[in-house]
Amino acid sequence: MITRAAKLISLYARVNIQNLAAYRFDMYMRIVVSILHLISELMGVWIIFHGTRSVRGWQWQHMLVLVGVYRLVAGGIRIAIVPNMRRLLEDIRNGTLDFVLLRPVNSQFLVSIREVVVYRVADVLLGIFVAGYGCYALRGALPFRESVEFALMLAAGFAIVYAVWLMLGTLCFWFVRVQNIEMVFWNVFEAGRFPIDIYRPQVRWLLTYVIPLAFITTVPAAALIGDEAKIPPSAPLWGFALAGIMLFVSNRFWHFGLRHYSGASA
Amino acid sequence: MRVLFNSFSAFLRVAIATMMQYRGEIFLWAVWGLINPAVLYAMWSAAAEGNVDQTLAGFDRGQFGAYYFCIMIIGHVTTAWDAYELGYFIRSGSLSPKLLRPILPVWEALAANIAYKVATLAFVVPSWLIFYLIVRPTFSAGLWQISLGLLAVVLAGVLNFVIGYVVALVAFWSPKLDAVGEAYFGMAMMFGGRFAPLEALPWLLKEIALVLPFRWMYAFPAELLMGKIATASEALAGIGMQLVWLAAFVLAFRVGWAAAVKRYTAVSG
Repeated sequence: MITRAAKLISLYARVNIQNLAAYRFDMYMRIVVSILHLISELMGVWIIFHGTRSVRGWQWQHMLVLVGVYRLVAGGIRIAIVPNMRRLLEDIRNGTLDFVLLRPVNSQFLVSIREVVVYRVADVLLGIFVAGYGCYALRGALPFRESVEFALMLAAGFAIVYAVWLMLGTLCFWFVRVQNIEMVFWNVFEAGRFPIDIYRPQVRWLLTYVIPLAFITTVPAAALIGDEAKIPPSAPLWGFALAGIMLFVSNRFWHFGLRHYSGASA
Repeated sequence: MRVLFNSFSAFLRVAIATMMQYRGEIFLWAVWGLINPAVLYAMWSAAAEGNVDQTLAGFDRGQFGAYYFCIMIIGHVTTAWDAYELGYFIRSGSLSPKLLRPILPVWEALAANIAYKVATLAFVVPSWLIFYLIVRPTFSAGLWQISLGLLAVVLAGVLNFVIGYVVALVAFWSPKLDAVGEAYFGMAMMFGGRFAPLEALPWLLKEIALVLPFRWMYAFPAELLMGKIATASEALAGIGMQLVWLAAFVLAFRVGWAAAVKRYTAVSG
């Protein structure tokens, strides 16, 4: 079962890499654009800490960690989550989702692994580098315990994003014209560029419990920084509980949506 | 002139009708213009609190509110997207029929631009009001500053449109250079005063910002409207600078367009 899943994933990844090789120049350009984005984000940190020493307890090293985490998460989302959901929306609209449903594999699994945008790994590496540097500037070493906590919180964050996207994708069974849903997602994600501590309490509450943006960038960054003041000790637990609940709900919702799908000429 | 006027009003009618048809989609475009300044307002007002005197670069919380309230409005009413779109028109060949008309395609783009702003009003104005009520910005502008400020916003909009169009001309030489549009947008963000008020920039960046045209599109009208620019001579000098840049870029457009069209060979049809 697991070996078959791994085989499928590696098969799709291989096909995607081969497709990518046909558009190499475009790929290099996109990596250059990514680097430019990162530079402008770093300039942003420079500008902010030119004017002040700390933003609600976040110093420049902390902010570097957050910039790195933001880039890392954004890159991770662009490697597999967004491309697969984009393809799912397209398939539902065209009726070609039938070809997925007819295969003898779990449908949710299959729609989640078909697309892999390999060069976005560059974003992930750049993000890790910047976050690692911020951490190093803070204490001169990469602490082991915090790194493990960080990895766990990051996994929970990705699970939450995945679940949100699966639910958005499933909505497409009813509302076929939601191509712009991706723009809504990135617009909201924009608010995670800075620590949620900068917002007033009501907004912070909203971004923690209603739109769980806090668990996607701020909480992993705070875990790597290892500062108890930035997140309450119960936050990791909350994050995992939320990730579990959302994965479950999105899975149920996907199956509920499938029952509504009747194919649209394929 | 009559031809221009008639064609332009026809373009405008068509563009408004089209925009109305895609209301939902264009609202989504406008959302970023609301969220981005609101997030930056939160960021900067929190940063100001980190300083002993609760101000940063001469702005306190209420003034950051006023600044980003103005930036939010200016960013929306001056927005132009030709730097991205023209490359697509060239690649897809849809520029060819536009070139056959006896009127420059830039007028059609201008009509679409105005139509977008008309069609989104019903959505953005209430959002601006909500932001105003939550943030409670402190304005210190008198009537003369507001009236000159409104003129500056109009000039900023024209300037942004013309510069964007000149940047878009690069697409005639290299139609897949979306990165140029991105770089233009990023520079306007950093050096125009959208990311931070120019006063808050470190010296090197500030020096760069002072010589580039972007500050006249965002920072200047915003500072004028919120009352940060105190003397009439400074305000008038700023408007003069807007006119100088505008004249320079209109000239650049005329020269660049002539060269670009000469180069243009249709891609498909």
